[in-house]
Amino acid sequence: MPKTALKPFLKYVGRRFFFLILTYFVAITIIFILPRAIPGNPLSQLLSRIAVQGAANPETISNVQKSLMEEFGVGKPIIVQYLSFLGRLFRGDLGTSINFYPKKCLDVLAPFIPWTLFLLIPATLTAWIIGNTLGAVAGNKRGTWMDNLVLNTSLVISQIPYYWLGMLLIYTFSVKLGIFPTQGGYAQGLLPSFSFKFITSVLYHYVLPFLSIVIAAIGGWAIGTRLLVIYELDADYTIFAVNLGMRDRTVFKYVFRNILLPQITGLALNLGSALGGALITELIFNYPGTGYILFRALSTLDYPLIQAIFVILIVAIYFANFIVDFVYAIVDPRIRLGQGEGS
Amino acid sequence: MKDTLILSLENVRSYYAKGNYYVKAVDGVSFNIFKGEVVGIVGESGSGKSTLSNVMIMNIKKPLNFIEGKVILNVGANFLELNTLPRQELQKIIWGRETSIVPQSAMNALMPTKKIRDFISDLVKDHFERALNEEEIIERAKQRFTDVGLSPNDIYRYPFELSGGMRQRAVIAMATLLNPRLLICDEPTSALDVANQKLVLKTLEQLRKREIVESIVFITHDIATVRQIATRMVVMYAGKIVENSPVEDIIKDPLHPYSRGLLLSVVTPEPEIKKRGISFIPGTPPDLANPPIGCRFHPRCPYKMDICEKEEPPLKKVDTNREVACFLFNK
Repeated sequence: MPKTALKPFLKYVGRRFFFLILTYFVAITIIFILPRAIPGNPLSQLLSRIAVQGAANPETISNVQKSLMEEFGVGKPIIVQYLSFLGRLFRGDLGTSINFYPKKCLDVLAPFIPWTLFLLIPATLTAWIIGNTLGAVAGNKRGTWMDNLVLNTSLVISQIPYYWLGMLLIYTFSVKLGIFPTQGGYAQGLLPSFSFKFITSVLYHYVLPFLSIVIAAIGGWAIGTRLLVIYELDADYTIFAVNLGMRDRTVFKYVFRNILLPQITGLALNLGSALGGALITELIFNYPGTGYILFRALSTLDYPLIQAIFVILIVAIYFANFIVDFVYAIVDPRIRLGQGEGS
Repeated sequence: MKDTLILSLENVRSYYAKGNYYVKAVDGVSFNIFKGEVVGIVGESGSGKSTLSNVMIMNIKKPLNFIEGKVILNVGANFLELNTLPRQELQKIIWGRETSIVPQSAMNALMPTKKIRDFISDLVKDHFERALNEEEIIERAKQRFTDVGLSPNDIYRYPFELSGGMRQRAVIAMATLLNPRLLICDEPTSALDVANQKLVLKTLEQLRKREIVESIVFITHDIATVRQIATRMVVMYAGKIVENSPVEDIIKDPLHPYSRGLLLSVVTPEPEIKKRGISFIPGTPPDLANPPIGCRFHPRCPYKMDICEKEEPPLKKVDTNREVACFLFNK
């Protein structure tokens, strides 16, 4: 990168960073308010569990409830709760889970995160690469049988609900054919380790959830890319290049380069939200990911855990966004050099 | 023949396939372009003049179909019948090297995410086996940029770093980089302000005078522009040539009723036309999917005769260097 290009580049990155902080603040406020808008008492489940386990002495329970309310700040005015939430967050404390009391939220989440990332990042990337390639080829060969095949298949696939696709895969490959297991991240009874047996078991259980995510996502990417390619193949710069005798391959390279820019944004957003897990897919396959734990947290109104998941998720999405802006600035000179700011 | 022939079209028909019928955009067009000429092709929107520019370089892409005719181009040593060459051959040895098109909208004609210099690299790589010409071509590009009034260092910039007028000139410089024999300009001035229009016309004139390009075809609906730059004017109507005459002759004395109507409807008239006042041609251009039988202009023609509704008037010589397709001059 030449020296002259550096200053607007830094300015661009700085501006992005400012907006990042601002929107992060807004998002955190929203995830604080939303779970509290759901009717119900988050402590009731925990209390009933304690009641079952311990002596059913109403006075003890009442005392426990008091101390728990103190601990979680449930009875306090909402603004006080909010400020203490912000204060703790600022110190990097995501709070204690109500449902898994007295475990810290981070400790509850930690074992699930690698599973989710392991499932979603390869699946998202695979779908992105296959979908974009198919779409680009179809758009480039517009009107041929190949285009028709890709377009129609993509349209059908992208409209299939992914959870239904997951159930269909389980029905076909597990129930009927018996090739793959129906559920879980690895065979029951195995302990997570780096043994050959464990790894093969994981991969064996990995196939169906992976496929269900990849297949469901390919269609959308392919349709979007195909449209972008068709549009770009009609663009003024394409026609000029063709009339100058540029080879079809060179022209296609230009087009592909230009259509990838918007697609990179989509990819990054998808990767960022990967940390939140594929909620329904993970439930269907009983896969030990963050989507699964989020479902547990939501159904028990575990405020701190819900907040913790979303705080991490938002950070991840923002981080992905920031990386995208960065990559974008590198691949697209119009953004790097600040188009429209006057030169 | 006293002049060197550059391009010759012989009875060319090229139609757009629309479902199960054809739109006859270029229908039986014949004309020659000689060395040193600037030919203005004039017609209203939908007369097939932009399609004609694609046919001249044989860039036939679906839904456009080449039906019949010959497109013959002088390539220096000999003449090539372009309509017999495969697309790869045309891309490699004809387009960009022998012919070039300056497009209608030059604003976005350059690859937006590449520096102009890198674009030149790709252009050279696609045309020549070895890249040994590249340095020479870069030097030539700098020279050409200077010629069109840009800084030689502008080739190291991205297109979006140039203003509209600069981009237009950069496009002309790029289009003429490989010294094409024939330069086709498709309404290159229609999106520019008057000052930039003048500059572009001057640049084109310069390129021809210095014999960087041997002939120019200027496609436009703007007669004032043709008057400034062209030596000969070809008037198209509904996919056919109705008149082909030297510019001064056609301005003084248009033969075909359509040419006359076109000249009379100019809003910023030349002094000669001003005297006659402004009028318009009644009616609308015909649907090219189903053109009228006989002369295609007859439903709008004030001099219509019986024969006009039955037979198509052929393009005939009426003077040493004038051709017209009208029964008024061809009994």
